[in-house]
Amino acid sequence: MSDDFTNGTEIEVRGLNLWYGTNHALHDISIDIPKNSVTAFIGPSGCGKSTFLRCLNRMNDLIPGCRIEGKVNISGQDIYNKDVDVVDLRKKVGMVFQKPNPFPMSIHDNVAYGPRIHGAAKKEVGGIVEYALRSGALWDEVSGRLSTSALDLSGGQQQRLCIARTLAVKPEVILFDEPCSSLDPISTSKIEDLILELKKQYTIVIVTHNMQQAARISDHTAFFLLGDLIEFGRTEQIFESPQKKETEDYITGRFG
Amino acid sequence: MFPNAKTNQKIAFTLLGMAMGLVVLFILIILYYVIYNGYSVISLEFLTSMPAKRMTAGGIYPALIGTIYLIIGSMAFALPMGILAAIYLNEYAKPGKTTWVIEMAISNLAGTPSVVFGLFGLAMFVKYIGFGPSILAASLTLALLILPVIIRASQEALITVPREYREASLALGVTKWQTIRRVVLPAAIPGMVTGAILSVGRVAGETAPILLTGAAYFLPRLPESAFSQFMALPYHLFVLATSGTNIAQTRPIQYGTALVLLMIVLGVNFFAIAIRNHYRKKMHR
Repeated sequence: MSDDFTNGTEIEVRGLNLWYGTNHALHDISIDIPKNSVTAFIGPSGCGKSTFLRCLNRMNDLIPGCRIEGKVNISGQDIYNKDVDVVDLRKKVGMVFQKPNPFPMSIHDNVAYGPRIHGAAKKEVGGIVEYALRSGALWDEVSGRLSTSALDLSGGQQQRLCIARTLAVKPEVILFDEPCSSLDPISTSKIEDLILELKKQYTIVIVTHNMQQAARISDHTAFFLLGDLIEFGRTEQIFESPQKKETEDYITGRFG
Repeated sequence: MFPNAKTNQKIAFTLLGMAMGLVVLFILIILYYVIYNGYSVISLEFLTSMPAKRMTAGGIYPALIGTIYLIIGSMAFALPMGILAAIYLNEYAKPGKTTWVIEMAISNLAGTPSVVFGLFGLAMFVKYIGFGPSILAASLTLALLILPVIIRASQEALITVPREYREASLALGVTKWQTIRRVVLPAAIPGMVTGAILSVGRVAGETAPILLTGAAYFLPRLPESAFSQFMALPYHLFVLATSGTNIAQTRPIQYGTALVLLMIVLGVNFFAIAIRNHYRKKMHR
């Protein structure tokens, strides 16, 4: 499965199955996610890519009636082990959601939220906020108005704020769940550029409906269909010479 | 009814408008009546002096103070209990039999007649626990009376906090309780404050619960402690209206008392609306 990942493997998934009640939504998924690169999950609506993404930081735990079997190893540790501290896991594996969801607070407080709760000293907070906003490509636009409400920002800015908020917690992995689907093309391209920058330091997994986006920014791509992982490989290979027929049908637009 | 949809709409809106007009009309009539008959006695002196000459003269100071004590006392008990109960029900409770029983209990509490609360307060706080007729006993009784209102308002406020805020916080490696304390609660405060302030109006005006738990016809001094008896505006009004011997003299005082009570309730409601609007703007909703 892994084709000699340059930086090693960050996440190893073996035999992951998920049920929503009696609905068997994910079937025996096994995949290796490489470190410090961008991996895209593509597939038609309802194929399970977002569900699978949310398994990686155990956000599916919040859904009543959701049952998971299988192993997900991140940095060598199975995150579904009984002894694992879920709260700690989510510090290491951050998530950016489809619709930007800044808190109804100032820009500064949004970014400072995580660090403050995790015990950052008062004098460090300002520095962390600036670092996170710079890394999130938002500093230049908001440095003069950090105390204004985050809800006054545009959609694209809010999403970059959410990214900065996640970066402030210093994760190792960042999960993006269709981050640009509610944004205009210019904001989308800003965020895509940002992701290409971020992959130098973080492992990025992005779920996207937009195949061109996957082709533009990802190093590896995984194609999902009806709860199965159909194919996974280097992005160029998936798009130029897909091995499975279903993959080819989806790529060429025959469905989805 | 009629074939034309536009006519139907016009008729519906007219009927609705008339219904609303009727409601406003009644409120205005009551207000007018009370103000007309009561304004003559209103003055700073009226509010700050004791009743005199067997209630045929003087002011309503002790009743005013008593009512204020009751408001503070009942809020002190009902607010923390109600808000914490709402947080438990909305954020932690799993749907099931226990939760259903709790919700039933709250609904029943909401529907219980206020005189029954008075009897309960008498039996429990005055007699059994032994507080005696007192501000404490009455405050606890009133707290139970408004508890369902506060729980419901707080629940509503918590429900309207978008799920996205909770998700975003949890995804940052923050515990559930921290999320509630730092994101959900602050966002729910406007609704909770509104519920609380509306309860103030209720507390100010209830007579039956305090009748049996410590309200006094007349006291020469202000209550000295939480264990003292007290006077209160609604009971004072009742007393003036039913046991006075000189109607001509007490009537204006009755209306004056009613006016003060109304002004408290109206003032408090306007305050609640102002706070709610202020926070709504902050939350962009």
